[in-house]
Amino acid sequence: MSLFDHLVIFPVLIPFFVAVVMLFPRLNNSLSAQRIVAVATNLLMVVVAFALLFRVEEQGIQTYVLGDWSAPFGIVLVADLFSVLMVCLSAILGLAVTLYATGGEDRTGAFFYSLIMFQVMGINGAFLTGDAFNLFVFFEVLLIASYSLMIHGGGKHRTQANIHYVFLNLIGSSLFLFGLGTLYGTLGTLNFADMADRVPLLSSNELLIAKSGALLLLAVFGLKAAMLPLHFWLPKAYSATSTPVAALFAIMTKVGIYSIWRVHGVIFGDQAGELANIALPWLWPIALLTIVAGSIALLASKSLRVLCSNLVIVSVGTLLITISLNTVQATAAGIYYLLHSTVACAAMFLLAGLIQQQRGQAEDRFVAARAMSQSGILGFIFALLAIALIGMPPLSGFVGKALILQSVTVASQAMWVFPILLGGGLIALIALSRAGTSLFWKTTGANTSALKGHPNQYLAIGLLVAILPLMVIFGGTVSDYAQLAAEQLKSGLSLQQLNEVTK
Amino acid sequence: MHYFWVPFLPMFGIIVPLLANKLNRSACTLATALLPALALGLIFLDLPAVLAGESFSQSVDWIPQLGLSLSFRLDGLAALFSILILGIGLLVILYARYYLSEKDNMGYFYSYLIMFMTAMLGIVMSNNMLQLWFFWELTSISSFLLIGFWSHNSDARKGARMALTITGAGGLALLAGIILLGQVVGSYELDVVLNSGELVKQSPYYIAILSLFLIGAFTKSAQFPFHFWLPHAMAAPTPVSAYLHSATMVKAGIFLLARFYPVLAGTETWFVVVSLTGLFTLLLGAYTALFKHDLKGLLAYSTISHLGLIVLLLGLNTELAAIAAIFHIMNHAVFKASLFMAAGIIDHESGSRDMRKINGLLKYMPITATLAMVASASMAGVPLLNGFLSKEMFFAETLEQSILGAMSWLIPVLATIAGAFSVAYSLRFIHDVFFNGEPKGLTKTPHEPPRYMRVPVEILVTICLLVGIFPNYTIGPLLESTSLAVLNHELPEYSLSIWHGFNLPLLMSGLAATGGVAIYLNRKHLFKFAGMFPDIDAKIVFESCIQAAVAWAQKVNMKLENGSLQRYAFCLCFFALLLIAPPLFDLDTTRGSLPETPINGAVLVAAILIIAGSLATIIWSHYRLIALLMLSLVGLVVSITFAYFSAPDLALTQLSVEIVTVILLLLALYFFPQQTPTSKSRPSHFVRDLTVASFIGCIIGAICFALMTHPLDSISEFFLANSKTGGGGTNVVNVILVDFRGFDTFGEITVLGIAALGIHKLIARMRLSMRTKDYDGRLWAKDKYPVLLSVVSQSLLPLFLLISAYIFMRGHNLPGGGFIAGLITSIALIQQYLAHGVDWMEKRVNVSYHYMIAAGLTIAGLTGLGSWIFGRPFLTSWFEYVSLPWIGKFELASALVFDIGVYFTVIGATLLILASLGKLTTKDRLTVGER
Amino acid sequence: MELVYAICVGFMSACGIFLMLRGHTFTLVIGLTLLSYAVNLFLFASGGLTIGEPAVLSSSENYADPLPQALVLTAIVIGFAMTAFAVILAMRGRADLGSDHVDGIEPFDPLAEEKS
Repeated sequence: MSLFDHLVIFPVLIPFFVAVVMLFPRLNNSLSAQRIVAVATNLLMVVVAFALLFRVEEQGIQTYVLGDWSAPFGIVLVADLFSVLMVCLSAILGLAVTLYATGGEDRTGAFFYSLIMFQVMGINGAFLTGDAFNLFVFFEVLLIASYSLMIHGGGKHRTQANIHYVFLNLIGSSLFLFGLGTLYGTLGTLNFADMADRVPLLSSNELLIAKSGALLLLAVFGLKAAMLPLHFWLPKAYSATSTPVAALFAIMTKVGIYSIWRVHGVIFGDQAGELANIALPWLWPIALLTIVAGSIALLASKSLRVLCSNLVIVSVGTLLITISLNTVQATAAGIYYLLHSTVACAAMFLLAGLIQQQRGQAEDRFVAARAMSQSGILGFIFALLAIALIGMPPLSGFVGKALILQSVTVASQAMWVFPILLGGGLIALIALSRAGTSLFWKTTGANTSALKGHPNQYLAIGLLVAILPLMVIFGGTVSDYAQLAAEQLKSGLSLQQLNEVTK
Repeated sequence: MHYFWVPFLPMFGIIVPLLANKLNRSACTLATALLPALALGLIFLDLPAVLAGESFSQSVDWIPQLGLSLSFRLDGLAALFSILILGIGLLVILYARYYLSEKDNMGYFYSYLIMFMTAMLGIVMSNNMLQLWFFWELTSISSFLLIGFWSHNSDARKGARMALTITGAGGLALLAGIILLGQVVGSYELDVVLNSGELVKQSPYYIAILSLFLIGAFTKSAQFPFHFWLPHAMAAPTPVSAYLHSATMVKAGIFLLARFYPVLAGTETWFVVVSLTGLFTLLLGAYTALFKHDLKGLLAYSTISHLGLIVLLLGLNTELAAIAAIFHIMNHAVFKASLFMAAGIIDHESGSRDMRKINGLLKYMPITATLAMVASASMAGVPLLNGFLSKEMFFAETLEQSILGAMSWLIPVLATIAGAFSVAYSLRFIHDVFFNGEPKGLTKTPHEPPRYMRVPVEILVTICLLVGIFPNYTIGPLLESTSLAVLNHELPEYSLSIWHGFNLPLLMSGLAATGGVAIYLNRKHLFKFAGMFPDIDAKIVFESCIQAAVAWAQKVNMKLENGSLQRYAFCLCFFALLLIAPPLFDLDTTRGSLPETPINGAVLVAAILIIAGSLATIIWSHYRLIALLMLSLVGLVVSITFAYFSAPDLALTQLSVEIVTVILLLLALYFFPQQTPTSKSRPSHFVRDLTVASFIGCIIGAICFALMTHPLDSISEFFLANSKTGGGGTNVVNVILVDFRGFDTFGEITVLGIAALGIHKLIARMRLSMRTKDYDGRLWAKDKYPVLLSVVSQSLLPLFLLISAYIFMRGHNLPGGGFIAGLITSIALIQQYLAHGVDWMEKRVNVSYHYMIAAGLTIAGLTGLGSWIFGRPFLTSWFEYVSLPWIGKFELASALVFDIGVYFTVIGATLLILASLGKLTTKDRLTVGER
Repeated sequence: MELVYAICVGFMSACGIFLMLRGHTFTLVIGLTLLSYAVNLFLFASGGLTIGEPAVLSSSENYADPLPQALVLTAIVIGFAMTAFAVILAMRGRADLGSDHVDGIEPFDPLAEEKS
């Protein structure tokens, strides 16, 4: 087994070991060393992630059989087009966040980079694992890391927000275990592929029990994904926490979405016989209402970070729509949109951090304040991100939105999706143009402080912003990839296929 | 083909001004103008072929999934608009060089302008609907930047935002329309779409598509009821008004109508909606324009009315009308642009645009005056000027329709009235500004502008004259090819001559002219009449609408996100309940086929204890200490339950975790009030929570019962079969933990480690004020560390360590293992802390516990990596039986090393948590500083 | 016996969830612990109940289902970590917000955030 055959597990192991190493005296005591290691590691992560991506593109699905115990008995990591794409996304995000943090936010508390690494480990694990209980474990890893990161930097509002976030998710975790127990008790297995195989064979009684177990998981993932009515924790949490953490969290909701896709879109998807698409009747209204609620909150936002948080919620609703449409087309559109919205929101969170730094007491609130010392460049970036998030050309937002609209072919669905999606866009337009004009144009007196953003912070934002036009220019490649990933996801993976791939 | 590069040249041109900004103004201007000029040249290269009636198109794939391709076409329509955009654009660039002051950032201005130019070219040359939309939105964005260019003044900000919102909304509608149309036709390429008009008109979506397209067009072209943004866009610098709001952007909507004329036009709906909208806008604009004192305001409304005129013509559904419309598009662009520029000059050189102040400018700026007068004459439709020709055609066409059936004669009448008003406001423009006495209260004395600032106006006015006098030689061919492109089939007979003999249209013009003069002469009364109506400022209305919406949103949001965790938690539980309940209702019985094991006394007692304990925990949850005791009772019974149901490992683990947790909670309780204030939670909530909680409880219980009574064919057999042979251990549970599912354990200890780190973070910044007394007012015991306790615990320590070592070693084959051993060790050490205090311990055990965590995790991780050496995947176990003299045969397993990792992580984590908490408790009783 | 067991599990989870819906952090922690007991018992039972046949290989021919036991072990540990964090967070909340109510005393307002 050459080193390359271990590639699949690298995204989990690299952050783990680096995080641990950074706890040892030598590194733990020198922040500058930690910074170098962290950035270097994240660069490596990006390389690894894309290496894995190309490998999967060439040789098809890659698996990693932990402890050499083949599925369904051991735990298997499955890297298919979709999961590996998500890993790439998290790698890029991790790099940006770490870069940004080197600008100074890492000073305000202990173990920052270790925790970031653990967080990334958890996220990647959740994307790659092919085992239900292992998914739970990695959920816990990323959750506990996020609990600890959220209070980074201190301040009563972070504590306050964290209390809500933590206790809600603790309930969520308990429900997760109830759900898993139910599924194991009916299916007698934990491997996704094996579960998918066994679901259609259930007897009528077990069928219904398994159904409620599966739907319980929907609530759990829904909480992570912040879908209505489980989204209330998000705006407070994301707007209270420190800038890089908020940016990293932009992908956390997507983990929930991803899991819904995996579990309710595939295991309980079209091939699930009696239990086919049990989640859809719930997801349809939830998706639309999430967008509506998110848009209302968007209009109500009084500060840039709250506004970003609500944009995240709207994007979640939009993704849920693509899940509910339940076609390969829609899934592909969803995957494209997922990439776009994650990157754009993360970038906006980072930008909000800089804006807040330079506006003194006014922070990032939409009130007249002194001009920012770097308002030129900040304004430019804001304009770009706003355009992307509204879904206007020339940035990736419009491709995602158009793809989604296109994938709606049934008139009865179009009746709902078109107005709500476009109306949401209009509200985003109003909210963001108000935000922009009041942040950058409505200034009282010239700037007094010489406070400037750290070059690394701009580098971090630049890294993310650069992706948006690239996703349009190479939109053909990206959307084709999304198409393939969607087909692969929708076609499902039986245990037999899984073990054949492993051979 | 040259034309393919036309949109790209300006695209690169966007950055030029930013680079050239450092140079002097003229150089910057030249540099900026270079690429557009080149583009214009390219157009003229292809023009002959186009005039010959050809139309070209070529496309390159871009995003196939989306049906978006890089696809441009050049036909008459595209050519006409490109020439307008580039030609007038160049003039505006020249003009702006003199108009902009030193303060304005020329580079940015030009850059925005070129961006807009690119976008417009993109629209008119697109051969792909999505690409067309792409550029359509770009015009909205760039115009937002241009209108808001003077961002320091609030009118500009508001105007810009309003324009963006309205046109942006239109853009979204258009996108929806385009996608629908694309789905109907099955392609987004215009070549295909334009030739499937019938298909579209038959389709059930036609009405939807049409209305969406019309919303797009009307918002952009400021048609009623979306017209109100245009006048406020006049806050922009005048070159922008001249370019965007007369010649180009507002024509984009009309271009859209013209472009999709073959697909959408020709139906009853189109006829009624389009022409009536146009007619109304025509009248409204013409009437309002007369009363505007602001020069640009007057021009803005006249623009609105002229746009209405064109829309009306397109709506009439006759081919000649369409041709007239196209003709008027050209003419209006030319004379209106020149008028705006003239207005700009006047503003620039006299310091005001208020027609009540600027009078009699003729003798101050005679040349400009003459030019402006010619242009406005053309606007009024005076013979020998281009405006006259198209207006004649317009009048002629209004006679050729029957929108209103028997009342159709109204249309020409109204048209004539509108004509009269346009004559009137043109007269007012001329008379008020250039004659009518002396200027009043101007800051500076007016004078002629710099030579080259006037050049653009001169050029445009000359065109007015040439076209007006020799239409056939100047504009004829282009008009013909354009009309061909619009109608998409051979043209009917029409003539472009000044003199058609005495006929009805001529009479209408005459009436309009005389009427106009009459209106202007009696303007006093009209002004009085108009003065009686409150003049509504659309800006304020619009802003207040937005404000209202925001306020409403905030109210609703407050209701939803009321910041109460209890609400959120309830939502979660209730939602979960909604999800899991329904399936069980369909279930006839939860009892499965398996026989129930008979119940016995012990179990019953345990059950009673559990229920009583839980109940007590709730009832006394306000008395926290008692609640805690009850809780630990339950925990105890739970661990016994595990033991009873043949899960010794669980029992041990549960027990040790139980102990540590209770210690933790007790320590924590020291910082909390001993009682929970009862008043806080409302009775209604109490009931609500109780209901949902018990429902969930019932369902969980039901499912649990069902699971226990249903036969399960699970993968567990495999573990039992392979534990010894494959995992080298007889304690299957432990083998699963460290081998079969070692990865879970790997993650699990990671969680433990992270938790410890997080807790360290939490405690590091914690500032707690200690109490000098306990909550019943008693002082704390004097002797912190009772001798007895310390002696006993110290003597017990070795024993504990021995036990944990034993538990650890047997783990693989008998109940036990790293985790339990770790906890036992930690408990022993904690006992020392309790007995001797933190300082005493720190003297003896000077390890920083998070290093221990790191060490533990590293050991576990490296054990996993070890298997790579043997070419096996992560965490593959290895074991061997070796026999040594005296000791005998024993097993060496990599799993054991892994378990050592677990062992240390557990100790590190537990002690990091408890020790750092202990530090808090034993610190200075008054305050605890940050460590 | 299964029935009794199920009733206990249901009852405990009901109590746990009820306490999790209260307004004070310490109560929530207690509720969380109670709930996790219930969860563990539930998960444990998902493989069915067996008496006196621990999954330690010996002469006996049928054993308790070991997999749920392993899962519960993991769940217990993770639960322990989470509970510990929750407790300390509750203390931190009391320290920072001067109250042990989950919402702090004053309603939260993300706009009036202090520099930290």
